Amino acid sequence: MTTNRKSRYLAAELADRLILAALLAGIGMFIIYPICSVVVTSFFKDGHFTLEYYQALFTAKSIKLIKNSLKVAVLSSVLTTGFAFFLSLAVFAAKGKRKQFIRNSLVFTMISPPFVSSLAYIMLFGRRGLVTYQLLGLSVNPYGWHGVVILQVIGSISFATLMLSTSFDHLDRRLILASRDLGATTTETLWNVILPMVRPGILSVLFMLFTMNLADFGTPVVIGGSFKTLATEAYLQVISSSKLGKASAISVFMVPAAVLAFFFYYRAMKANEKSTGSDRADAEDSDAFTLNGPAGVMTWTITIVFYVIMLLKYGNIFLSAVSNSASGSLKFTLEYFGKLPRSQWSSFQHSLIYSCIAALAASLMGILLSYYTHRRKLKGMRSAEFLASLPYIIPGTFYGLGYVAAFSHKPFYIRGTAAIIILNLAFRQISLTNKSANAMFSGINRKIEEAARDLGASRLNILFGIILPLMKPAFITGFISIFTSCMTSVGAIIFLISPGKNVASAELFQSIENGRYGVASVQAVVIILATLGINLAFMSMLKLSKRGGK
Amino acid sequence: MKKRAIAAFMAAAVAASALTGCQSSKPAETTAAETTAAETTVAETTAAETTEAEKEADKPFEGTTLNVMLAYGGADASFDAFTEKTGIKVEYVEISTGKALAQLQAENGNTTADVWFGGGVDSYISAKELGYLEQYESPEAEAINPAYRDKDGYWTGLALVPAGFLVNNDVLKEKNLEVPKTWEDLTKPEYKGEIIMASPAISGTQYAILNGTLQAYGEEKGWEVWKGINENVDFYAQGGGEPGPKCAAGEFGIAVLAMTGGTFAMEDEYPVTAVYPEDMIPWTPAPIAIFKSSENKDAAKVFVDYYLSKEGQEALREADARVMARGDVDVPAEIGNVDSSKLIDQDVALFGSQREELLEKWEALAGDKDSK
Repeated sequence: MTTNRKSRYLAAELADRLILAALLAGIGMFIIYPICSVVVTSFFKDGHFTLEYYQALFTAKSIKLIKNSLKVAVLSSVLTTGFAFFLSLAVFAAKGKRKQFIRNSLVFTMISPPFVSSLAYIMLFGRRGLVTYQLLGLSVNPYGWHGVVILQVIGSISFATLMLSTSFDHLDRRLILASRDLGATTTETLWNVILPMVRPGILSVLFMLFTMNLADFGTPVVIGGSFKTLATEAYLQVISSSKLGKASAISVFMVPAAVLAFFFYYRAMKANEKSTGSDRADAEDSDAFTLNGPAGVMTWTITIVFYVIMLLKYGNIFLSAVSNSASGSLKFTLEYFGKLPRSQWSSFQHSLIYSCIAALAASLMGILLSYYTHRRKLKGMRSAEFLASLPYIIPGTFYGLGYVAAFSHKPFYIRGTAAIIILNLAFRQISLTNKSANAMFSGINRKIEEAARDLGASRLNILFGIILPLMKPAFITGFISIFTSCMTSVGAIIFLISPGKNVASAELFQSIENGRYGVASVQAVVIILATLGINLAFMSMLKLSKRGGK
Repeated sequence: MKKRAIAAFMAAAVAASALTGCQSSKPAETTAAETTAAETTVAETTAAETTEAEKEADKPFEGTTLNVMLAYGGADASFDAFTEKTGIKVEYVEISTGKALAQLQAENGNTTADVWFGGGVDSYISAKELGYLEQYESPEAEAINPAYRDKDGYWTGLALVPAGFLVNNDVLKEKNLEVPKTWEDLTKPEYKGEIIMASPAISGTQYAILNGTLQAYGEEKGWEVWKGINENVDFYAQGGGEPGPKCAAGEFGIAVLAMTGGTFAMEDEYPVTAVYPEDMIPWTPAPIAIFKSSENKDAAKVFVDYYLSKEGQEALREADARVMARGDVDVPAEIGNVDSSKLIDQDVALFGSQREELLEKWEALAGDKDSK
């Protein structure tokens, strides 16, 4: 090697190390430090160190809360994963335009502004719901744990399906064809061939859903009625004031359950890595998988139910934005548009920009994190991965308060800026892409990278030339999920907004809190349409470039 | 090669969005500045009859911006008039006082806000004790009943929010129920499952209802009444804004809530009627206060003075119809006939000191409906 090449090689290696360092520093500064800042409050009452808040957690009431939380989180995540599996099958088995249609529907229905869905549900299925009361004459009580589970499932199914179908896209078709050639029925192929191959995907989705639903406070607050979970209790302690310490203790308490889930997830992923590792052949449309038999029936039934529910939900939201059904009859009106707050337009711009930047950054970081942990197998990275999942495990309110506590004093004073919001959004969502990248990596053969090393490629070359391009699907789904999530999430950033730096989701939240449901529906519609627009644009942009690249 | 181009494009996109991000807030601010500048020039030309010196003295704070934490629905409609008069711009964020207090605690009182406007007085009392508020006794406060302001001058009431019932006429008719007239009426067994109200731990108004009625009935009778009411409630709403809309939607027949202009406005759109209880009317003051960490205290004082003055109080009343704290401001017609003799004679300072104890007793009583 000439000196020039050698120094370029060393520079590339250095750059690689720097990227890793930056990633770790980011995690340390923007995840660990804020969370610690808020956890610290759980150990102090009126200035003295105390474990009293933790002792208070071992009461019968708290145990009940824990049981409730687990019950709901487990039910929701298992049910959602189940439905997502069948929906992914529907995507997988569909061809051409139909496939595109289902995919786009999923992207659209992933956009679920907070609270509005719960309201739509009450309006449709409540005591005087359009469906239950007006149509079927029943007076059903929608409040309670069943309402929470139903809403959590409806709210997360599209996201889960998108995540899972990335795994399906990279199935080795040859194995499926072989199985069919050998005379296996659809059900047998499904059970013995497909299921094992998408196991990493299923596990990733299950873990994400479990932690998300455990930390979800928005749904139980509206529809839970008297059913409370740990997350809602923590949130309520915070907003009923003076109990920041107690609320922090409750949030900390949620971590062990997540640690356990993470542990199982890891074990299962590891077991999977050992069994795969062979080459895979890319999917060809002509080898589309035909769905017959009971599996087929399940899949199509679930798909149809999915569409019906989504139509009802979004139909309701759009209808509420332009109508007033108060006096029993429907009156179309545009009055809500006039009642939007003055800052609506600028908040909206902020939402778009902050979410975009956060999504790009988070998606990239998630993939990098996955790469360094699973491919390079560097020591200690697994802990880094777990720490990166922390913001997802604790309720958003905590993570937001952590930022308030951590960045309100010099030298880290960034309160009142756009940066604090973007950072909060970005670092919270790293987990998403991280998990789907994990699933993707386990299906990709290590030999490609080893071959590149043999040929003298530097680590940087491998990163940019091989890994990132291969991860494009994970990056795309990651970006879309994260962008959508940023546009609609409000729990964390409600404490970080300041006058002049408001965001659309927070304004929606404020409308709901003040009972301005009509205005809230309009704001929700705006958020939905804008997010959809950006997502579709992003997807088609990358699809075009993919074709050009080949 | 193509892949590098894409990577470069992405990087450029991120950089571009970062730059536009830095800039986009500026256009919004400059347009706001332009419109306020336009408004102030109009105001200045109309006041051109007065001398130059007077003009200067009128608006010594022109160009300052105040950050307001707002928990007073509708008040933002009155900010433009204030800006026109004083040249001080107002930016605000709507945040419930409970959350605001949590945020204040997390940042140890170092808030970016200057003024706290409206919301639950118990949060103000806590904030005062934690040292987050600035003491300021506005000269205008003399026209306000001392019962409606902090005796040490840390906060002053802007308006009184009375509480009462909202009933859904259709539901009551369907279930053959009478409109409740008193708080004790709410304990009648026929109302079981039809009453919705917020949790006093979260809603400042509901807390005031609880504390006020306990003060009026006396502890023993008071807790008995609440025990009876609790029997009729399925669960407690986790926000003060929930009971009204839920009752209007027909989910519940009776809502217990704050009687604001917004509440009465619902009568025009929904089959509901707002009813003041006939035996006693609980109320809570909606306060205003200045934050100790504010860097614009002088401008903030102008703001407080304005909203406590007759002009400001009337403007605020126009924005959202309420019983204003100032004695010389009329009660707006929109909120019906408030029999002020029925307003409970209560000690607001007790709202703060009794809070923890009271909420604990409440938890013991209603615990399984407030948190199962």
